Amino acid sequence: MKDFDIGIIGGGIIGCGIARELSRYSEKTAVFEKFADIGAGTTKGNGGFIHAGYDPFPGTLKAKLNSKGCLMYPDLARELNFPYKKTGCMVVGFHEDDLHSIEELYKRGQENGVPDLEIISGDRIFELEPEANREIRYALYSPNSAVTDPYKTTIAFAENAVTNGVRLFRNCEVREIRKLDDGFLLKTSRIDFQVKYVINAAGIYADDISQMAGAEEFHIICKHGDLIIFDKSSEVNMSMSLFPTSTSATKGIALGTKIAGNPSLGSTSIIREKGDIDTYKEGVDQLLAGASRLVTNIKNCKIVRAFAGTRAVVENNNNDFYIKPSRRVPGLFHVAGIQSPGVACAPAIAEYVVEMLLENGVRLTTTDYFTAVRTDEKPFAEMSDEERNEIIARNPAYGKIVCRCEMVTEGEIMDAIHSVVGATTVGGVKRRTRAGMGRCQSGFCQHRVIEILARELQIDPCEVYYENEGSNLLFGRLKGADIQ
Amino acid sequence: MAAACKAAEKVRKVLIIERNDSLGGVLNQCIHTGFGLHCFGENLTGPEFADLQQDQVNNLDIDVFLNTFVIKVLPTREIVAVNSDGVISVSATSIVLAMGCRERTRESIVLPGARVAGVFTAGTVQRYINIENFVPGNKFVILGSGDIGLIMARRLTLEGMEVKGVYEIMPEPNGLRRNIKNCLEDFHIPLCLSTTITKIIGKDRVQAVVVSKVDKNLNPVSGTEKIIECDTVLLAVGLIPENELTSGAGAALNQATNGPLVDDTYQTTIPGIFACGNVLHVHDLADNVVVEAEKAGEQAAEYAGGN
Repeated sequence: MKDFDIGIIGGGIIGCGIARELSRYSEKTAVFEKFADIGAGTTKGNGGFIHAGYDPFPGTLKAKLNSKGCLMYPDLARELNFPYKKTGCMVVGFHEDDLHSIEELYKRGQENGVPDLEIISGDRIFELEPEANREIRYALYSPNSAVTDPYKTTIAFAENAVTNGVRLFRNCEVREIRKLDDGFLLKTSRIDFQVKYVINAAGIYADDISQMAGAEEFHIICKHGDLIIFDKSSEVNMSMSLFPTSTSATKGIALGTKIAGNPSLGSTSIIREKGDIDTYKEGVDQLLAGASRLVTNIKNCKIVRAFAGTRAVVENNNNDFYIKPSRRVPGLFHVAGIQSPGVACAPAIAEYVVEMLLENGVRLTTTDYFTAVRTDEKPFAEMSDEERNEIIARNPAYGKIVCRCEMVTEGEIMDAIHSVVGATTVGGVKRRTRAGMGRCQSGFCQHRVIEILARELQIDPCEVYYENEGSNLLFGRLKGADIQ
Repeated sequence: MAAACKAAEKVRKVLIIERNDSLGGVLNQCIHTGFGLHCFGENLTGPEFADLQQDQVNNLDIDVFLNTFVIKVLPTREIVAVNSDGVISVSATSIVLAMGCRERTRESIVLPGARVAGVFTAGTVQRYINIENFVPGNKFVILGSGDIGLIMARRLTLEGMEVKGVYEIMPEPNGLRRNIKNCLEDFHIPLCLSTTITKIIGKDRVQAVVVSKVDKNLNPVSGTEKIIECDTVLLAVGLIPENELTSGAGAALNQATNGPLVDDTYQTTIPGIFACGNVLHVHDLADNVVVEAEKAGEQAAEYAGGN
């Protein structure tokens, strides 16, 4: 049995962001993540856009936190060393009706405090984004919109939190919550924990957690989204993201360039069963149909990856975030229904949650031992030849290229495994290093990644998981005695 | 290896740069026979064939850099590569590109459903079984009736795994007739034509697939869906020549083959850079690759003029 002051259920971008904020205080915090890796739920299926804040309706919690969160990113990215690029974006339109929608978004943006928004038309649109369809007539230009890597951001939050004393328990599913006199008993798939306060950041399972604690019922609907990543060497090279207006047939489908350089397209939004993150042909078709309206050349681009995710929406809550203390169970705090613009809001949500805790009598004592900065090595693929020679001289493992498509070295994979919140699975290595994200989709490198994981974690290759328990890639030895 | 050996007859210094820890490439994992009938007058396995070539390389004093990964080829014929000694630069008078192919992935055919463990391309499964000695699955469904899929259907069966069937979207099988007989018919493995996989089902690992008949436009026919229980999907859906370095050097590609455009001396559009083998276009037989490679090697040596 372990004792903590605050227990955060859920290790996604929201849970880890909150953990990082709480690591400024000397109170003991723990994060409980049911999957083998952090950011493996809704965060994993996210496209990486940082919305600027003109979309949420004024007066909502989303509106309050969106612009604030978006503007926190540049400093945070420098501090914590995760990928971030202020590309800007445009919401584009073709007809008069679209112009009305754009004007509406502009108005909302002004009310929500989004800086630097402009309504533009004509050549300026194509100066900003030369790939844009020449039929586009109007656009809302948002210079503060950006892109990030949602996994690396989550990992950065988590690693800084752990460095500052937060404990992280992965493969740790909360199965029972019992109210005690001064806190809660959490029975998990690993051991029992006793905590004074619980923060429910459990994504699509937040309603289950609430129920487990005997708190008020709120119901979560899952909105599924398909996304597509195109080959980097594609004919399309966009400087910013393009969004259609909501009167167009393709609402919410953004076309842009991922921070790693691949053109990307996503995502659809349709209610599906809880936990369904399958790729759907209908979704992919819908994405492709809408994309060529924004950039005509996109139809010549080769698909490298089609994946999907799901976002939690709290029903009957005005499509808004559900961030509040539990009405029924004191000491339980809900951070639920974090759908878009969740990534943009994450840093602001973290601060908002801390304020909520303080307002509700939670004692938080600022510690002198907080390290705000996290360092991270530049990817080998982005290094100059001098930098490469330097790092190879330090450790020849950096001279062994494992993932040929993304130029990821054995040294980097070993770093990812031994990092503060290290990878323990093939998926974890992929999200930290990009090994397996290239055009051959791990055809070349998977067996090498398994070999390195097995060696570094000192487990048998047959015990290496793709993602979670039950996702073994290899079932056993083919021939010969099992010499281990 | 074939190009290098032929070139070594005419020029003084020949270097092979190989990213793996041994020469041979995919030959090393092709443990079936059918290699060398033309080149060596014998019916050999892939590794045996590669071995004989390796002997030739050794006898001719050809330099070999193993575990060395070429990251750039410049039109000036300078090669930039990385290995555990650092970033190295090699100047060549002529270059032969022989990087082979990569396999088409699930993503490029947009196969919907769960993205779980147990979806492999044929070459990956072949490597796990023949070189690494692992069992990558117990019950397989194979998509694609090209030779690679057929060879793997037999290999899996011989090694004690179960192949539920080979599914081919076209109305005719893709591979050599002798492979249909030797790999499928002889082992009673069902071949289902005009059928494709429309969805992968599974939680953490593949649990089943949905197969469906297709019409003449290759669209799934509603009502013909069947669920096949399996734990592994083996994709044999095509090869793509690996031409990142070729394009990087500025050489023009042939849209039809996905390989570089070459003249009748196997020279690309960049003077002094030649190409042969699967990187040029997908070949069926290794022996044919050798014939082509020897020509390319000879031409590259001509270009280098004895250097």
